[in-house]
This record gives sequence, structure tokens and C-alpha cells, in this order.
Amino acid sequence: MNFTILAKELKKGLGFTEKITGKNLTLPILNNLLIESLPNFIKISSTDLEVGIEWWGPCKTEKEGSVVVPAKFLSQLAGTLPEEKINIKNKGNTLLIEGKNIKTQIKGFSSDDFPIIPKFLKDIYIEMEGKKLKEGLSSVVDMVSVSQVKPEISGVYFSFNKGSIKLVATDSFRLAEKTIKDDIKNLFEKEINFILPQKTTKELINILPEEEGKKIRIYFSESQVMFETFLPNSTHSEINLVSRQIDGEYPSYEEIIPKTSKTKIILNKDEFVKQIKMAGLFGGKTSEVLIKVGEKDIEIKSQDDEIGESELSMPAITEGEGTKVSFNYRFILDALVNIKSSEISFEIQGNDGPALIKPVGDTSYLYVVMPIRI
Amino acid sequence: MTNEEIWQSVLSQIQLNISPANFATWFANTAISSVEEGLVVVSVPNSFSKEWMEQKYHKDILKIIKSIDENIKDIKYIVNPINTKIPTKKTIKKEKEEVVEQLGFSELEVDKETNLNPKYNFNNFIIGPFNEVAYAAAMSIVEEPGKNYNPLFIYGGVGLGKTHLMQAIGNKIKEDFPDKKIRYVPAERLISKIVNAIRSQSIEDLKKNLREIDVLIIDDIQFLAGKDKTQEEFFHTFNSLYQKNKQIILSSDRHPDNIPAITERLKSRFNGGMIADINMPDYETRLAILTQKAEEKNIGVPQDVLEYIANNVQKNIRELESSISRLAICKKTNGNKTINIDDAKKLLKNIIVSPNKITNYKKIVESIHSFYDISSNNMFLTSRKKEYARPRQIAMYLLKKELKMSYSEIGRKFGGKDHTTVMHACQLIENSYEENDKTRQEIDLILQRIYSK
Repeated sequence: MNFTILAKELKKGLGFTEKITGKNLTLPILNNLLIESLPNFIKISSTDLEVGIEWWGPCKTEKEGSVVVPAKFLSQLAGTLPEEKINIKNKGNTLLIEGKNIKTQIKGFSSDDFPIIPKFLKDIYIEMEGKKLKEGLSSVVDMVSVSQVKPEISGVYFSFNKGSIKLVATDSFRLAEKTIKDDIKNLFEKEINFILPQKTTKELINILPEEEGKKIRIYFSESQVMFETFLPNSTHSEINLVSRQIDGEYPSYEEIIPKTSKTKIILNKDEFVKQIKMAGLFGGKTSEVLIKVGEKDIEIKSQDDEIGESELSMPAITEGEGTKVSFNYRFILDALVNIKSSEISFEIQGNDGPALIKPVGDTSYLYVVMPIRI
Repeated sequence: MTNEEIWQSVLSQIQLNISPANFATWFANTAISSVEEGLVVVSVPNSFSKEWMEQKYHKDILKIIKSIDENIKDIKYIVNPINTKIPTKKTIKKEKEEVVEQLGFSELEVDKETNLNPKYNFNNFIIGPFNEVAYAAAMSIVEEPGKNYNPLFIYGGVGLGKTHLMQAIGNKIKEDFPDKKIRYVPAERLISKIVNAIRSQSIEDLKKNLREIDVLIIDDIQFLAGKDKTQEEFFHTFNSLYQKNKQIILSSDRHPDNIPAITERLKSRFNGGMIADINMPDYETRLAILTQKAEEKNIGVPQDVLEYIANNVQKNIRELESSISRLAICKKTNGNKTINIDDAKKLLKNIIVSPNKITNYKKIVESIHSFYDISSNNMFLTSRKKEYARPRQIAMYLLKKELKMSYSEIGRKFGGKDHTTVMHACQLIENSYEENDKTRQEIDLILQRIYSK
């Protein structure tokens, strides 16, 4: 193996691949990266046997070959490399990195022991804009349940229909649903649904392109799913992310979304965010804030024996009956940070039914949250 | 040699050649799932293992298997995800339940297959004279589903524990007979399922589906009133299950005879098994429930406060629970001060002096229409048909009793009837209310409707 690459490119590749490696005691090879030199490309792969990431970067290849090196160490080293061309080659299982004034050797392992990342049939795929998926996922990923008691909800639910995608996450206390309408090319010609583990989803958000207009492809098999991004101005893949799907059936979450409401209020979002944050400070351990809906305004109250108490109010357009409901203020904030519109609608079903938060004038996002019982 | 033995010998030979870590990673949870015409299918837990086996160990495995059975030509690997589901642990209740309770989506607790919510079980079901008949019937069903009381028909007012009891039966049967197919369906859901099935022309599938069930539980069967097609489908399902000695459990807010617009043949079938009613709990039971709830929430409430609540909250169990929750919140916000009787009186004002004890003419008339499922005009006609006359008499009785309207005013409302006619009607219903249990139930239910809106 022998190739020359810009240090910048190498750092980029390590940034994408290194994160999922960790301390794996049963199979230490997983703490490493597989570096392969292919014609015109360098390829770096990593896996934790749940997710596998492969990254390709342009380079000048002199000799093909491969080696396995410790991930954390290599990325620390790359962080200190100067921004210039560097030459990388191997001598047996040792990796040699050489620059203008640099000469290093890293002890590695044979690439034969590195797990093989599953391959996909690349004929059938779904194609859509990467940025939209990235934004959509960011707005729901935090609502995923971290508990493994109900594995079905420990991931984000993807549902591809004709011309739209729904992304859903819930931890049984709140639920977020994002609908992305896009010019989606679905070659499967049927509905595709799967549940992606939260950890993978976070990685996916990390690798999806930020620039507008860049397409990505999604491949799908019975138990695995793969996301592919492309090198700029090229049809060659830049990153392939392969993940297991969560086995199981996602709960029929539509039943949770309330269809009617007893009380509906329209609020200025920024003002509401400020007030909820302030009230939250007095929420104490329970994070409880009480929202009281009047005729033309709402009051937000919170109190804690040890901290003190606060009483805030703000104007609102209200409809339906007046009510008093307690919520965990963090759950409310989680919804508000993902809403971009200046006004929000807040629909309440009394103090033991689900409440619905939506941006005004935007039907693509909705958030259902359960109150705290009073 | 069985498949297991073949695979065992493969594993023991492979183990000699590779490191324990590799062996544990790649060969855990693998097995031969089938052997057919020289093709061995090996199931592996994930795609990584599959790739690894295919590319690294395929030759070795094939060689070993061939040495055991010469007819084997090839091996195929399939991914068969192992069920990572943690066996549903009995939720260990924390010693001290937080007074503040973050509510969750109850839909997610529900078992997908049976539609039962595990939170309803017999351990937290309180038995008293008001529900002991229903409970006894439930216990005998749990022992031998389909044998003794089939169908079991439970009826009673809102918030008295019908759903709890039915779901507890389902959960218990599921626990004792894991092979039995149990399905809990609220009647409303059944109706929408049948409507959808008709629309998508998949009614046969639905029928087949329903008839394979061992224990069918249908809640709030009174909603089938007037839904003729659903009734017909349900009738056939009912018969087919009944003939096969499958257990059927139904609930309603009233006696089958009092459900309007249900075909006679269904009614007679509902009446064919065991009919058990759940009444309002008596004072002692209410007190027992309160004591238990207070203990569950771990709040010390003085006896006189509990007695006060038991005396004044009489309507249903749900309200008893909410009274206790209110006390718990108050106690928490006031720094664990013990609640005395005056605090309780103030706190529970809303529940006890129910603000919706006020009603009006329109509410009463509407409730009667919907209860008897008759259109609004028919009641005011001078028709003497029994199905109109009786609701009319009850309407007169309620208008007199609840609104204290004068006889002649009531008469005017009903198309200029003489005040003596109204007096007669009121007297008739009043007597019947005293003497006849069925009438009393009917009127209590209507009253509940009037005041619950």
C-alpha cells in the first residue's frame, strides 16, 4: 500500500468513521479502522457490528493494499498533522505516515481479521435530498426512548410513502412526527418502513450533507438498511452507512395523535420559549410547570419548596374551555426548539390527555406530549 | 444425526482453530435451521456474521459437514435476528411512588397481539359486595375458559371497573394459558374494522381472523346499537366461537334487554350465559378503596378525612382515585403537612359539589333521545306506541323530578297534554322506580348521562 493524500481529506475521513469505534473488549479488532488503498481512492472502514461506515476519499495511489490501525490513536495523530500533502504506506502490519518534516510509524494488525461490512444490491434504492433528511432527523432524534425495555421505540421510525417520508420518535411520554415532502424516487414501488437505532440515527445525521441539492440514496433489505452519500460532482460514493434495523413492529402511533381538542391556544413562539425557560428554573426536581389558560392570556406558574416560585403570563389567542395543566418544561422546550415558525398552536385535552404542539402555518411537524398528573 | 448434533460437531471442530473472542463473536446464536436436498441453511444473528461466515469460514464449515453427511452439497446463510426483547419484567414498583406522575401514552403499553393493557390485573382489583358476582364469574372463567359461563356479560355504570375486570381476565388467561389467542376489542374499534374491511373488500380475512380467537373480549357492546351490518357479522362470529366452546366476554353500561336497536337474536344470545352486574360500591368498600389508594401513594391521611371522602364521593371509583391524587399533591406542595378535614373539604369542593348538577330541559330531552335511540319528533307525537310512550313518560318524570317543572308546563311541552296525564305518567314511573330494579337502572343510567355531559 502506498498513496499520497491531503491531510485535510484524511482528517475528514477519520471524522466520519472514528466515532463509532470504542472500547470493545470481546473483539478488540473493532477498536480499529481498516485503511485500504484502491485505484484513485482511499477507503476507511469502521464498525461496531451494529453500524458499519465506509468512507472514500480521493488520493494519488501508487500501490494498492490494506492495513488495520487503532482508531483513536490515528485520529489523535491526524489532528496534529500540518495542512499539507502526506504519504501513507505500510510495511507488514505497520502504517507509515510521512510528510515534509514528519516520519511516524504506527503498529497495526492484519486486515484479514477485520469484519466484513455487509454489501447491498445497488440496483433498487430510494433517492432524496440529503439535507432535508438531515434536518428532519435532527428534529425528532432526541425524542427516542433511551430505555431498552421496549426495543421498538428505541429508534426512529422511517415510513416512506408516495412522495413523502414520515419520521417518528417517541419515548412514551412525548412523540414527534416530521413529514418531509420531496421529489422522492422510490424504486421499490411499495411502502418501505423500518426502525433505525438511535445511535445510528445520530451517526447518520453526522454524515448527511449540509449543502442543498445533494442527493442521497437509501438501500433496504430485510434486516439491514444502508445510506449512501456521493463525492462532489461524481457518481462515486463518499460514505456508505450500513446499520441493522430494530426488529419489531412500530406501535400504531397515529392513535396517539389527538384529533380534537378541548382548549386551543396560539402563542408567540419566542416569547413562550423565554417564559418556559424562566418557569423551568423554578420547576425543581420534577421540572413541573403549570399552564393556566384564561380568556386572552395564559399564566405559567412553577414552584419548588427549596428554590422559590414564579408566576408569569403572556397574551394568547385562546379557544375552547379554560384549563390548568402541568407539564415537564423540558418536554415543551424540546418541541419549541424544533419549530421555526413565529407562532405555535398548543392544543390541550384537559389535564390527563395528550397535548398537541404544532407550528402555525406548517403541517410538517407535530409534537404530542403527556401532562404531569395534578 | 439431528441438525443440532451436526451443528454442535461443526462448532466443536471450528473452536479448535480460531480464537475464543472470534468464536464468541461470530458463532454465538448460530444454528442449522433446515437441511433439504443437500442444502444446509444456517441461521446467523446478523449480516456481519453472515458476511464473515460466507467469506472466512465457508470452506471449513462445508468440509466438516461433508465429513458428517456426504450428501450435503452446499451451505446457505440466512439472517435470523435473535429476539433481543427483554422478557417483560414485572414492573417493580418503587417503594415510594413519586407523587408527581409524568403520564405516558397508554397506547404503547398495550400488548400488540391481544390488545390488553398489562396494568389491569387482579392484584389491584378491589372486591366488594358491589362486584363480587362478576368477580366470582371471572375467577371461574380464568380457571377453565369457555367451560362455565359463556358468554359472560358484565354491565354497570361508568368508572366502576368493568374494563379493569375484563382486561384482568384476559391478562390472567394469557399468563396461565400462553397458547390461547386472546383479543380485546372495544366495540367502537370492531365497528370501524368491519367498515374498513367492507370498503377494502377484505371482510373474509377479518372473519377468519376473528374466528380463530380463543377468548374474545368486547368492551362497550352497547355501541353496536343501530349498526346492523356489524351486528350481523358479530352474530356469526359469536355463533362460530360459541359452538367451538371459545370464551366470549362482553361488557355494556346496561342490561342486554335495555340496549335499544339490537336484534333479538343477539339479545337472546347475550342472555344465554352469565349476566353479572357491577353496582356502585357501598360506603365500606369505598373506604377500603380509599385506604388502599392512600397506602399505594404512601400518603398518611387521617381516618376522618377518608371517611369524609367516602361519604361524599359516591359516584364512581375514578373520582375516588382523583380525590386521593388531589390530597397527595396538596400534601407535597405544603411540605408534607398532614391534611386535616378542613383542607380536604376545600380541596375536594370541585368533586363533591359537582358543578354540573345543574341541568336544563334540553339536556334531559336529548339524553332520553339518545338513550332510547328515537328521533326527537317522535317523542312529542301523540303516538301510543310503546317505544315512544315509555320514553315520554320517563321524560315527564325526569322533568318534574330534576327541574321541578309544573305538571301543566310539562303538559304544554308535550303537545298540550292535560296536567293529569302528566301526573299519571310521573306516578307510574315513580312506582316503577321503587319496585322494579330494571326501571331503576334505566333511570339511573339516564341520569348519569344527563349529568355527565
